[in-house]
Amino acid sequence: MKSGLTINKTCATKVFLSTFLILIASIAAYTFLILKHDPSFVDLNERLLPMSWQHPFGTDHLGRDMLTRILLGFQLTVGYGFLALLLAVAIGVPMGVIAGFKGGLIDRLLMRVADAFLAFPDTVVAIVLSGLLGAGIENLLLAIILVKWVNYARLARSTVVTERQKDYITMAKINGLSEWRIMLKHLFPHLIGHILVLASLDLGKIILLISSLSYIGLGAQPPAPEWGAMLNEARPYFQTVPALMIYPGLAIVTVVLFSNLLGDYLRDKFDVKKEVAE
Amino acid sequence: MIRILARRLAEVAIFLLLITFVSFLFARMAPGDPVLSILRVDDLSVSAEQVEQLREDMGFNEPLLVQYGEWLADFARLDFGNSYISNQPVMDMLRGGVPATLELTLGGLFVMVLVALPLGSLAALYRGRWIDQVSRGLSLLGAAVPSFWLGLILIDLLGVRLGWLPTMGRDGLHSAVLPSVTLGLAISSVYVRLLRSSLIDSLNQENIRAARARGISEPRIFFSHVLRASLPPVITVFGVSLGSLIGGVVVIEVIFAYPGIGKMVVDAIRGRDYPMIQGYIFVMAILVFVINSIVDLSYRYLNPELRLKGKGRV
Amino acid sequence: MTLLSVQNLTVQAGEAPLVSNISFDVQKGEWLAIIGQSGSGKSVTASAIGRLLAPNLKAQGKALYNGKDILQLGAKEMRRLRGTSISYIFQDYQGSFTPFHTIGRHFDEFLKAHFKLSKARRREMAEQALESVGLQPEMYTRYPFQLSGGQLQRSSIALALLTKPDLVIADEPTAALDSISAFKVLRLLADLQQETGCAMLFITHDLRHVRKHADQIIVIKEGAVVEKGDKQSVLDQPQHPYTRALMEASPSLSAASQLLKGDDTACLYCN
Repeated sequence: MKSGLTINKTCATKVFLSTFLILIASIAAYTFLILKHDPSFVDLNERLLPMSWQHPFGTDHLGRDMLTRILLGFQLTVGYGFLALLLAVAIGVPMGVIAGFKGGLIDRLLMRVADAFLAFPDTVVAIVLSGLLGAGIENLLLAIILVKWVNYARLARSTVVTERQKDYITMAKINGLSEWRIMLKHLFPHLIGHILVLASLDLGKIILLISSLSYIGLGAQPPAPEWGAMLNEARPYFQTVPALMIYPGLAIVTVVLFSNLLGDYLRDKFDVKKEVAE
Repeated sequence: MIRILARRLAEVAIFLLLITFVSFLFARMAPGDPVLSILRVDDLSVSAEQVEQLREDMGFNEPLLVQYGEWLADFARLDFGNSYISNQPVMDMLRGGVPATLELTLGGLFVMVLVALPLGSLAALYRGRWIDQVSRGLSLLGAAVPSFWLGLILIDLLGVRLGWLPTMGRDGLHSAVLPSVTLGLAISSVYVRLLRSSLIDSLNQENIRAARARGISEPRIFFSHVLRASLPPVITVFGVSLGSLIGGVVVIEVIFAYPGIGKMVVDAIRGRDYPMIQGYIFVMAILVFVINSIVDLSYRYLNPELRLKGKGRV
Repeated sequence: MTLLSVQNLTVQAGEAPLVSNISFDVQKGEWLAIIGQSGSGKSVTASAIGRLLAPNLKAQGKALYNGKDILQLGAKEMRRLRGTSISYIFQDYQGSFTPFHTIGRHFDEFLKAHFKLSKARRREMAEQALESVGLQPEMYTRYPFQLSGGQLQRSSIALALLTKPDLVIADEPTAALDSISAFKVLRLLADLQQETGCAMLFITHDLRHVRKHADQIIVIKEGAVVEKGDKQSVLDQPQHPYTRALMEASPSLSAASQLLKGDDTACLYCN
């Protein structure tokens, strides 16, 4: 009975994930090939229109096409999320690998810094950085990178430290392979699974952070069609046109849900232990 | 215990040093001139002399490292001066904001416990049954819904359309209901799943079977043996994910125009009100230090083995 | 007089039977030993009688206690029965206690669950019980991790006998102890059984534990009874080859008693 449930769960997840991938593909095709409207095209005669063939999701308070903006927002929000994530991985993983391999002072120093950053919540770091540097998407991304690289450094370090003690690394050393070669050949394949899992779970959190802070004016600034910023702009019109509130929010929910389910799925697939997720 | 506190304090210090240093480095590249934003507050046309004068007064003409040193010195003296915007002492403003923020945080925690405890417990006790599935679905969804959007929907439904609850400001306990509910719901999904898996672990322990064999009642077993054994992992994550709480408070204060320190700092950032921002950083540092220390110390209460360590066996 | 009568007990994990069609009786005040190797189904049998099986295991058949079928009892009656008539001693002495509660709290909770007694009276009873198993009353305030294995198992024996049950089910109570502690705990158990007159259902894989104290013996193999009878007939004229194999595999107790010569009454773990 238990196995039946698990199969159902994985199956449902798979269906959702593949549906979503198809959706992304069609969105990409749509935005690149047949985008009908200019996302920043203002037409005050066409303000706050309801759904129609011309504007499937209606228009906003400046007469801009909502569907176009939501779709471009997908590129923007998810793109920013990916960018921050990629940089965090690119900084964190090498640092962690080096710390794990070299040990000693470098290792201790790095872990101290990592602990210090982990003590502070990401939103607070983002706010503090915005406070010191000014509000804007660049500073928000900087803050996210500053917080997130620590997770990847720790993950890479702990993987290296555990794997180092295993027999095959010793064997490789006996066979006269250099340390760097060992790292490249043996450790990275091990790391990739763990990083993918952590990254897919992080993507959702980062997207939530970007859109929340954009909503309160500390991230992407209007008129950029970032979903949080769109909600911010449209707030005075929510009561008259709830669609302005519903669509960007649903877009965020869908993307984050996808990234979380993907993370769960990858975690089961790579059989990564629980601590990676926390 | 002193070691724990020292460690936590060192973390806060390292963090403050690094974050301020990085920001001062980046400040060179950052667009926007704080002096201009300060003067524009009054929306008057500003002369070049006025700008220069203010710049001089505030030390913006100094080299970066000197500015950094002065910032640190001010910070160490806890002298944050007056807010650029309201011209009131920052400390007084913070003193007014902290209770509001704490009230909201506690309210959010209360709602979180109210949601996560029953939902997580029922899911663990009836795992695989419908209530478990419902709880899984809800927490998946809950983890994906942005708190500010949830807040907007609640404002629209309960506040504006139904008119049941106030949606703005802080005026008596009932104005804290909607923001607390929003915050609580936003953070509870993590704890529902966590509590569930931790409870399932403790339910499968031998000591639970032993308690049942002694004919102890199920509610008593659950509250006195199972629940407490499940708390340490929950508290660990609580400590680590304070971010979703303290950070979440900021967003929610802004949405509900709730006059806590979160809303103050966001207003300060928009107005480039540096003294206020420094004050906020200071309060956050203290808060993080206190909460992390409490989390560390609570382990000792929950696990007598740690508390009595060193006393040895009989 | 028959205290417990197990009739056609079958325990299944899904479709696979772990125990099939076991029947035996326990008379009032007698010591019945169930012997078998690990995985033979003896512990499952013991758990099934107290309805302590894991949720994925299902028991069928009857377990009549004073004529009433335990397997059909309502939750409330079951709780009463477990507290006052049947008690358990487990192999895992650490698992018998909740790590963050003091030893005393377990006694207190147990008494509170079944009797209306004053706080002082509960404490008095608990301390008496601790003394009756050769432990100091100070153990009342200690946490489980502060006690040795032997002390913990003594405490759980004190706990099991606290409410004067008619039947004690001891599921390999000495298997996790070193041989000297095991020997002592076993003798303590035998003495207390004599003293209180309770019946004992003693699960073990070790024939040494059976020679001295058991009245009746049941040998279980792969979830089925292969031999049963009184001690003398089973030990002197084993009918089943499996019983003979078990006997050959088990060294005599004399080695252990040699070790303890002259140290019969002293308690290694007290003080």
